[in-house]
Amino acid sequence: MNSAVELRNVGKVYISARDGERVEALSGIDFSLRRGEFLAVVGPSGCGKSTLLSMIAGFSTPTTGEIMFEGKRVAGPGPERGVMFQDYALFPWRTVAGNVEFGPYARGIKPADRHARVQALIELVGLRGFERRYPQELSGGMRQRCALARMLANDPVMWLMDEPLAAVDLQTRIILQDELLRLWGDAGRNAERPTVMFVTHGIDEAVLLADRIIVLGRRPGRIKQVVDVNLPRPRAPLRNSPEMARLAAQVWDLIRDEAVQAITEESR
Amino acid sequence: MKPAATRFTHVIEPLLGLAAVLLIWELVSRHVGNAVLVPPPAIVWRAFVAMLDSDLPMDIAASLFHLGIGYGLGACVGLGLALLAASSQWVEAIVDPFAEFLRPISPIAWIPLAILLFGVGPAVPVFLIFYASLFPIFIATLDGVSRVDANLIHAAQSLGASRRLVILRVVLPAALPAVVAGARLSLGVAWMSLVAGEIIGGDAGIGWRILWYQEFFQMDRVMAGILIVGALGLLADSVLRALQRRLLRWHPSSAVTQS
Amino acid sequence: MNLLRVQQPLDVHLRWLLPLSTLVILLASWEAAVRATHTQGLVPLPSGIYRSGTNLTLDGVIFEAMSGSLQRVLIGFSIGALAGIPLGLAIGTIPVLNRSLRMVLDTLRSIAPIAWIPMAILWLGVRGNAALFVVAYAAVFPFVVNASQAAQLIDRRLVDAARALGAGRWVVIRSVLVPGCMPMIFTGARIALSFAWASIIAAELAIGIKIAGQGRSVAGIGQLMVETLYVKRDVDALVFYMLVIGLVSLLIDTGLRRVQQRLLPWNAK
Repeated sequence: MNSAVELRNVGKVYISARDGERVEALSGIDFSLRRGEFLAVVGPSGCGKSTLLSMIAGFSTPTTGEIMFEGKRVAGPGPERGVMFQDYALFPWRTVAGNVEFGPYARGIKPADRHARVQALIELVGLRGFERRYPQELSGGMRQRCALARMLANDPVMWLMDEPLAAVDLQTRIILQDELLRLWGDAGRNAERPTVMFVTHGIDEAVLLADRIIVLGRRPGRIKQVVDVNLPRPRAPLRNSPEMARLAAQVWDLIRDEAVQAITEESR
Repeated sequence: MKPAATRFTHVIEPLLGLAAVLLIWELVSRHVGNAVLVPPPAIVWRAFVAMLDSDLPMDIAASLFHLGIGYGLGACVGLGLALLAASSQWVEAIVDPFAEFLRPISPIAWIPLAILLFGVGPAVPVFLIFYASLFPIFIATLDGVSRVDANLIHAAQSLGASRRLVILRVVLPAALPAVVAGARLSLGVAWMSLVAGEIIGGDAGIGWRILWYQEFFQMDRVMAGILIVGALGLLADSVLRALQRRLLRWHPSSAVTQS
Repeated sequence: MNLLRVQQPLDVHLRWLLPLSTLVILLASWEAAVRATHTQGLVPLPSGIYRSGTNLTLDGVIFEAMSGSLQRVLIGFSIGALAGIPLGLAIGTIPVLNRSLRMVLDTLRSIAPIAWIPMAILWLGVRGNAALFVVAYAAVFPFVVNASQAAQLIDRRLVDAARALGAGRWVVIRSVLVPGCMPMIFTGARIALSFAWASIIAAELAIGIKIAGQGRSVAGIGQLMVETLYVKRDVDALVFYMLVIGLVSLLIDTGLRRVQQRLLPWNAK
């Protein structure tokens, strides 16, 4: 079976804490992810993209429909689906090394066995020398790299990333995008890559990184369109190319109206 | 401003303040002229030294014993109850109203009942301290736990942590700043309850001893005892503050404020 | 907040049904246990508390005692405010004063107010002023601490702005310092009041025990409780008094909070 993730008619309804109203965050979501595919999810504020990711990660359950991962129903979080959060969610009381080793530690791997892997990962993300530092001592970009290393420590087959680069400045973001592509295997062979679901506000970012882009609409959150990004890999050299710009404009056209709507509503 | 000068003033000024207070004390004492009514500083000091040789160590030990047991029990129960309430909405729905109901009833109000039920003795201060320390810690822990960033828990779960691991290794450390703040607050209340409990319903400890000296009109010892109570309270809080600094090295705000 | 993976929020009805039913079960089993072991009079029980409560309320003694205690709380609280606020503001605005008095004040603040009772009795007699001393002592420090902290946190630019507009020192104090510090001082007032309330009871208990059995008139709720403890030995009445004390404590704190909201509407808390 080639699909890593399958969503069948998934919907999510909230009861608003403020006024008790029913809010339909997502409705009729139907798609599947191939193994090794890099999928980006974009959409205006309030379209439910983070909710979608949260359900695939197992933090919440859909109100309707079902979510399958590798053929089995998703019943909760698990180490095979690694997650990266927008605000890093690093454990502030643990050092960089302490954070990175948490996954193996939680799964019962002994200190002697996990030390080498943790060290290798820290070097891989370029944090050598910072093993004993606490998250509060690190810059945004470094924290994100630490969060990445932490996720990779369990060698998950799927990466779920919720706007992971939203909180860093533009220059750092470009550097991290390149690193992300490198670590994922942008230049390598298809079959060995992890499956990625990448939620972002940045359309340029989506076009740069992904094989396919799902555009969500809001109220209720549903799939507006699926855009194929038929650009060759490795992608990093294609940054700022006309083909990318054209695709980005195409995606933006799909979102623009609802995005404007979202802004005027948010300021209320 | 030269750094050396300000460092000097930082040491000198508190001493000047202390000297000023001692001077005023001495003057008042001379003016009143009655060493029993207002014992002058020198006599109080001598009384303190004499007490050191006789009952003081034992009294302090007794007080610390009361405090240790009462506070330890109160902290454990408060913490455990809060964790239970945090993990089960049923428990929270039941316990929280009772906690809110009991909170306005000051521990002092319990003293007569405690005396009636337990008799005059160590049980009164210990029970009082237990009751006094329980609430701040319970409330602070519950609040701290509920404020734990959900993403931290999610992250741990995604990394494969079991429920037990999530509670012990993520929720508890994350809630620790709030818990420690609650612990410092409850120590203050506990200390006051200790003294009140010993004075009114105890038969040992520094609080009880102060009253004992008053019976014999040894007011110099009474005064010394009062100051010792203050010093011990200060010491206890300093210990807790140092512990707080040590445990929360990693805390970003490092809002380990002065007091 | 829940530590489980996914959990629906508790049904609205259960939120009050659970504690209510637990309370009923608790009270019922408490009543049954005491009656079964024939320990009425030795151990309080719900029906006894209710009975004592109604008797004492109708009696009126409790109101007299309560008003006596509250009077002293009010006076002590006022003394604490009058002494504490200016001192706190001074410490907060004059760094020299802050540095020199900090150690002394911290030590004095650590002395549990009730510890002064033996000296206070000697100086002011047992009639009521000793208790007042303890209350005032307890009330002073929250004001000092909060006022000084508030003064230190005042935005310097507000002071500069006032000065630039031509305000002299006293005007600055009146129009910038005091209003700016009010929110924190009010919080200090609430703390001071709760300390004062606890202290009056402690002081009255201590004094009451000293003079127990000497047949003097009851001056406050603390002395009333002591009399009930040693003379009347009414366990249920004691619990009733405790509940009343808690009620009054709640009322004064709620009252003060309302006042704070009224007087300081710009400080949404």
